[in-house]
Amino acid sequence: MWWRMQKTVPKLIFIIAEHYENKAKSIVFELAACADKIKKIYPAEIKAIILGRETGKLSFEITHTTGLDAVAIEINELALYNAEIYKTVINNLVAEFFPSFIIIGHTPRGLDFASGLAVRMKAACITGVEGLSEEGGKICFRRQMFYGKINAHITANSEPVIVTVQPGAFEPYKPDKANPGKVETRKVECVPEVIQAKGIRRCHYQDSSISEAKVIVSAGNGIGERENLDLIYRLAGIFPGSSVGGSRILIDRGWLEYRQQIGLTGAQVAPDLYVACGISGASQHLAGMRKSGFVVAINRDPKAAIFNESDVCVVEDIKKFIPAFLEEYGKRKI
Amino acid sequence: MKILVCIKPVPDPESFIAIDDYQNWIKPTGLFKMNRFDESALEEALSIRDRCKSVRLDVLSVGPEYSKDVIRRALGMGADGGIHIVCEADGYVSPFLTASCIASFIKENYYDLIFSGAISEDYMQGQVGPLSAEMAGLPCVSFVVKQAISPDKKSIYVEREMDDGLIESFELTLPALLTIQGGINKPRYPSLSNMLRANRAEICTINLDQIGKTDPKQATLRMTIPEKRREGYVLSGSVQEKAAELIRILSQKAFIT
Repeated sequence: MWWRMQKTVPKLIFIIAEHYENKAKSIVFELAACADKIKKIYPAEIKAIILGRETGKLSFEITHTTGLDAVAIEINELALYNAEIYKTVINNLVAEFFPSFIIIGHTPRGLDFASGLAVRMKAACITGVEGLSEEGGKICFRRQMFYGKINAHITANSEPVIVTVQPGAFEPYKPDKANPGKVETRKVECVPEVIQAKGIRRCHYQDSSISEAKVIVSAGNGIGERENLDLIYRLAGIFPGSSVGGSRILIDRGWLEYRQQIGLTGAQVAPDLYVACGISGASQHLAGMRKSGFVVAINRDPKAAIFNESDVCVVEDIKKFIPAFLEEYGKRKI
Repeated sequence: MKILVCIKPVPDPESFIAIDDYQNWIKPTGLFKMNRFDESALEEALSIRDRCKSVRLDVLSVGPEYSKDVIRRALGMGADGGIHIVCEADGYVSPFLTASCIASFIKENYYDLIFSGAISEDYMQGQVGPLSAEMAGLPCVSFVVKQAISPDKKSIYVEREMDDGLIESFELTLPALLTIQGGINKPRYPSLSNMLRANRAEICTINLDQIGKTDPKQATLRMTIPEKRREGYVLSGSVQEKAAELIRILSQKAFIT
């Protein structure tokens, strides 16, 4: 493995392709962007790793969109995702190729196997990465901590390093005229012993109305009592073509419906105007709204992370501010 | 049957969080509470114990002295025993270090089932559960929203949450570790009688040097305040003045008429 430590010899970077129904998830192209950024620091070769029962269509899509080479591993037992198979098969590939970095999506699936894989291959594992830079000859990864109020800059003590990349943090890597990469397809047998996949089903149907809304007024934990949701709906009422959304915690409490959830495990939206009320701005939520046109945030905590993502910041309690806003608005109408 | 739930204290989300003078970590915050995801994990374990009285439920926390407060709260919620692995680290504690402490403990003390929160609210790494499982050689599924132990108690059926509203299901051979998604249940409040018992209860305390642990693998170089990604025009004045200014901006941009 020592030769990969030498700066002159290209390092190898694996990106692990997440897919569903034979299509690459959008995160794959963001992983490629993260790998490409490392490549700008160190000479590096990037390989997409694709695991599945059938991989032909996926390999074609990924190598043609990115121009990257791919290693596709076809495993008969992998009709459904299985962490045990993923960890075993990727660990075997690592023993063969000695990658310096393995880049995985910071998604529920990525997080399901990334840390376990790190233990098997004796790698460091840095999760939720949003940016990177070179410092003192090493790559320093930036990630959020403490409710998004602080950025931590983390380095691994040694290679290899597993990195999980926060969705929405890197612009998708889709070069204009990429020559399709080469695909090496292998067939592998891997029978899981302790984890059996039983199925995958859709539990919630995403309602397109929130994704199509021109204006979204969104509520978070900071709104306080449930009754205050009324203020959110009243505020939304003054914007034509608006919808009400919320952060996950309000959906968990049953105050809003799943179709209204904005964030990593909900809808990803990009309205012309996003009004965040009492939202702290943790990365899980930001992943769902970062592409909004104009962002107004109302939060009584001046240090709330949402203010870093806002065009206009209102440091006020929504219970005071929204009634005042509606009153001023009413005056203006008359 | 024995269940272990891993819990940790996190700074109260409302507390003031600032970077220390060395830019290496945050200034100490006063208020701590149990990580919300761990509360859900504990509630899930308590619900199993409610249905089956022969279950023994312990909680484990790796951390500084004040971790005992969340252990006592867990005892107040109904856990049978508390274990504290004392780790008085100043600054970032690598998930590898925490996980190796947990793994050492579960290798020496058999549990059929281990639960942890899917992520912690402060570090947000989502690593300690899956790392502990792998180090202890146990199967693991993360972001679990539903679980059911098989009648023969040899396996567990779990459902986990994906993005896009999808649910995946698995069956794991016991012993196994599950990381629990937050908000899947309503964590109970500690009862008065349990709290009285909890305050007298002896917490099993283990020092870091008594337990096998691994190389931390990674470290923080520094902490910074996140950069603004947008203009971030801060409105000033009274509430009314701020409201009037926002109306002016929104009508200028034609969001309101």
